[in-house]
Amino acid sequence: MTDQQLLWLLQLSDSNFPSGAFSHSFGFETYMYHEQIRDAKTFGDALVVYIQTQLTYTEGLACRIAYEQLEVDRMEGLRRLNDTLFALCLAKETREGTRMIGGRLWKLCRDIYGVDELDEIVQTTRSIHPAIVFAAVGRKIGAAKQTTVLTYLFASVQTMVQNAVRGIPLGQTDGQKLLVMAQPYLIHAASIIETLDEEELGAAAVGLEIAQMQHERLPVRLFMS
Amino acid sequence: MSWTGRLRCTAVVKNGRTVILDNYSEGALKLMRPVYLDPAHPTLYLVHVGGGYVDGDSYDMEIFLEPSARLMVTTQSAAKIYKTPSTPVRQYTRLSLGEQSVLEYFPDPTIAYEHARFYQETTVYITPSSTFVYGEIITPGWSESGELFRYDWIRSKLKVYQDEALVLFDHLYLDSRQHLTSMLQLGGYTHVGSFVALSPFITKEVLEQFNQFMEEMPKEVRCGFSAAAVPGFSVRILAYETSAIEAIFQRVQQFIRQQCGEKAPVCWRKY
Repeated sequence: MTDQQLLWLLQLSDSNFPSGAFSHSFGFETYMYHEQIRDAKTFGDALVVYIQTQLTYTEGLACRIAYEQLEVDRMEGLRRLNDTLFALCLAKETREGTRMIGGRLWKLCRDIYGVDELDEIVQTTRSIHPAIVFAAVGRKIGAAKQTTVLTYLFASVQTMVQNAVRGIPLGQTDGQKLLVMAQPYLIHAASIIETLDEEELGAAAVGLEIAQMQHERLPVRLFMS
Repeated sequence: MSWTGRLRCTAVVKNGRTVILDNYSEGALKLMRPVYLDPAHPTLYLVHVGGGYVDGDSYDMEIFLEPSARLMVTTQSAAKIYKTPSTPVRQYTRLSLGEQSVLEYFPDPTIAYEHARFYQETTVYITPSSTFVYGEIITPGWSESGELFRYDWIRSKLKVYQDEALVLFDHLYLDSRQHLTSMLQLGGYTHVGSFVALSPFITKEVLEQFNQFMEEMPKEVRCGFSAAAVPGFSVRILAYETSAIEAIFQRVQQFIRQQCGEKAPVCWRKY
């Protein structure tokens, strides 16, 4: 990897990158509300399963497939992938949150990195999944597929951790320790994703899905989803 | 490819009444004579003539509803999946709903025993005017050692297309080797229920009523529901027993029927 590529990826995976992801807990706030997630230990346990389920089978695998479709310039496959990712979101808030984040990420990356490969999809479907935008950026700056996927996984976990720091709340040092704890799981997930069949895309974590649905009706909320 | 069981039929409207045509079945799947619980709309009972699903079994089902046809479909008994040492059991179902047709599809629970692997894919084609109501229950069978979750894995996909666009994709994957007891998965529960209702009758106002209707839920289940991308909603339930999920299914089904102008309660008259 060149120094330039490294800097691009560092910028993209910064939890302050204004995609709006920091406003979404993706169901975790429901567990916080019920105090099932209440400290670094309970959050860390949940985070590991999140990496092994949602991040592996949906986010990460989607990013890998998108990267491969972009390599062979298959827009039809990319569009189908995008539709599939939104159809997989059974919770309305998560579906709309993902759409908002994807849209903002796409606009930003269009400006910053000059990613214009997705223009047609965004114009016709008016929604784009963040995993696909990330793959397009990775391709654009010439990062390898596995590096792009791993960066996407890290960026997602980084946001989840920052949200936990604010939401539970946790100390900043605890947050950083959690990121270190997550490292081997992220590296393992990236290598698993490489071997997955496309048919495994979207295998859901059932309890998390229910938490995402229940979030709509929580009486007090810090996050939009 | 040869199937362990195969089944196909079409529902059409004749003289204001839905009837079944082109009824075809082979192997281990049979279709009982339609029962008219309601004088105008038949109920179909799918029958598996073997004692259960075993290693390498494959099933293929196809049900068409012509415009305005109205049909309820269920099974005669639970689908018992036994151990699959070499090849998982596979089941493919295709349901096509014409304009203004109504399909209520409620198979009995799937029970997966020790070392069972089960792949299920249900593909549904709807139009904006059709009504599709679906409920599925997955339960673990008891093992010799008395432990739960001795099945290897269950993968169940429900894909719904409206005018060729994928509008809903419920992908359930339960793998007993992968942290099933985490709160992100079953979190101590054993039974999973999935319910989907898509219909032009489920407007914004109906969804609001549904919110209120669902406010009171029994304490011993964990339940979530949300609006779908097209008019309709999905419900997900975790419980300790089948009857708890069935009770919610029945209530929700009743709610939908009332919204669609039907007052008659649902009764499958199975037992």
